[in-house]
Amino acid sequence: MTLPRVLFVTGKGGTGKSTVAAALAIALSRRRPTTLADLDRRLSAAAALGAIPEDSTVVKVTDSLDVIAVTPRAELEAFIERIVPIRAISRRMLRSRTFGYVTAALPGLEAFLLLERLRIMGGDAALEDRYLVIDAPASGSAVELLSVASGVKGIAPAGTLNRLADSVDRFLTDATRFGAIVTMAPEDLAVREALETAAAMRERLGIVTVAAIMNCVPDLLFDTSELAALSPFGGHARLAVRRNAAHEQAALAAPRFAAAGIPTFSLPMMFTPVMGPGEVKKLGRVLDAELLDR
Amino acid sequence: MKTKAVPLKPSARPEQGANPESFDLRSPSLVICLGPGGVGKTTISAALAVHAAMIGRAVDVMTVDPAPRLLDALGLGADSSEPVEVELEGIRHARRGGGGSARARLRALRLDPKRTFDSIVARYAPSEAARDTILENRIYRNLSGALAGVADYMAMEKLLELAANALTDLLVLDTPPAAEAIDFLDAPRRLLELLNSRAVSLLGAPGGLFRSRLRMVDIAARAVLTAFDRVTGLNLLSDIQSFVRSFDGMYEGFSARAARAQDKLRAPDTAIVVVTTAESSRIAQAREFIGALERAGLRVAAMVVNRVIAELPDAAELSSARIAPSLKRKLKRNLADYAALKTREEVSLSVLRNSLPGGAVLMVAPDLGREPRTIADLAEIGSSLRAG
Repeated sequence: MTLPRVLFVTGKGGTGKSTVAAALAIALSRRRPTTLADLDRRLSAAAALGAIPEDSTVVKVTDSLDVIAVTPRAELEAFIERIVPIRAISRRMLRSRTFGYVTAALPGLEAFLLLERLRIMGGDAALEDRYLVIDAPASGSAVELLSVASGVKGIAPAGTLNRLADSVDRFLTDATRFGAIVTMAPEDLAVREALETAAAMRERLGIVTVAAIMNCVPDLLFDTSELAALSPFGGHARLAVRRNAAHEQAALAAPRFAAAGIPTFSLPMMFTPVMGPGEVKKLGRVLDAELLDR
Repeated sequence: MKTKAVPLKPSARPEQGANPESFDLRSPSLVICLGPGGVGKTTISAALAVHAAMIGRAVDVMTVDPAPRLLDALGLGADSSEPVEVELEGIRHARRGGGGSARARLRALRLDPKRTFDSIVARYAPSEAARDTILENRIYRNLSGALAGVADYMAMEKLLELAANALTDLLVLDTPPAAEAIDFLDAPRRLLELLNSRAVSLLGAPGGLFRSRLRMVDIAARAVLTAFDRVTGLNLLSDIQSFVRSFDGMYEGFSARAARAQDKLRAPDTAIVVVTTAESSRIAQAREFIGALERAGLRVAAMVVNRVIAELPDAAELSSARIAPSLKRKLKRNLADYAALKTREEVSLSVLRNSLPGGAVLMVAPDLGREPRTIADLAEIGSSLRAG
């Protein structure tokens, strides 16, 4: 399938959003150069790739894959350093409590600077024919983040900010350039939140969700007659039912997304005692094959 | 005046959870659940509240943004910003049987930050005109919306209001999902500092810079705000200034409340509970939470690891079982698969166990295997909490 160059990965907390973002970056980097932008201060997507980037520096993972940390704090610092060019003062200010007042007094500033940065990175990605995978905040905060652009347009009907907000907005709503990917796990709550997030992005913000990725899907091991035969074995039966239920729950989600015009992909549950870069690489290969299939 | 509730046995199941060496719900008058998003903080808050009511206490639980099914279970509507009585089977039986506490009850409510903020403004505003000026202010309307910090502050505010009720033994507080533990506990201080900020209140005041001994950083802050205004054309400065000014005279009231909230957090009968799941990224986050709480001088009473894999069945059972060999192989594989996940989880738990602050207990809540949707489910989680 054809994907836009910029992919914004979000999902309910606990669905393995960062793992999925990392796996997606691996899958895409098998076709063209790819950058993973980690928006999480803890850099869990970068860690899933086995990389630890410093603030705003690019770390190479493979020849075609690199990682960069993008934090609102760093964007805000850059903004302030532009405005207060005397380094000693800007540094001191960044450490001071006054800095806290400034950010508190300008709600949305951080989010807006972050979006503007993503727009610029997205432009570069298009020019260089690269993919940009963004490990975004969890769904609630992600929708809040994305709505800042249209919000700013509302309160600043004219002027520079309006023009900036307008170009961010056009970038986010251009399905050829920008697309969201929602992650979920095989549980009702996560599926519902993914559907709601996709709907909120489409209806409120005009942002297209290009795919839903179901993470942690166990393979189907038992058929119905086998499950029936298991009833005398309490613990084993429960464990078997649990595995099958997760598999079925995952299967039920696809048609719900199909009804909303969103293709669903699934990643297997990794039944391994550790979940490290090796496992993430495997998930990347699975996703690559799935994406090629469509 | 609070009287100690007489403990009563819940009707259905024995109290596996009431292990006195673990987390005792009989003594605290306030339980605050903190933790990263998506770990089931609301579920754990509600489960603790249900369990406490089952053992005879009069409990209020304040939830933040509960899942629809949980709302249903607690009987909360979209608009329940005041406590609503929750029907508890166990309590009714106990009352009828005469063995229980007549005090035992459970009430639930959900936090509405905007409404709470509006009501505080109304309470402290010196006049109706002053109140309306604030409520109409653009900055206020932004601040009092979904933005971080305000929900935290309002949860604190509501907490003081509910804690003042002498008919309540225990208040269980769910908190907004936070990236940092301290976001929630620090919210009152941050809001007060904003309101009391010289840099902000002097903005846009002609000659202001010369009337006051401003530090360089304040001048820099002013420069940033001015530049932002110039770049944006938003004219936020005058709004910010009038916002801060409109709080003149209300500051005292706010700051007294905030001080009381801080005292409450540090009271000996307040228990701070950090909720997490066993995924390694969440555990890392939970450890950061604990560190931040300790630095702020706050004592963590318990860590609850939610949704741990329940006890695995015995492999030996399989060797003697009379089932088809192919099915037996599948069962063995299934067991090995989940055992691998359990091993992964154990590694995370032992990391947590080794970094537990002094006096805190580690508790685990086994996965129900389904989404909790009834009070019985919550009671089951509450009573299955055990030392981890």
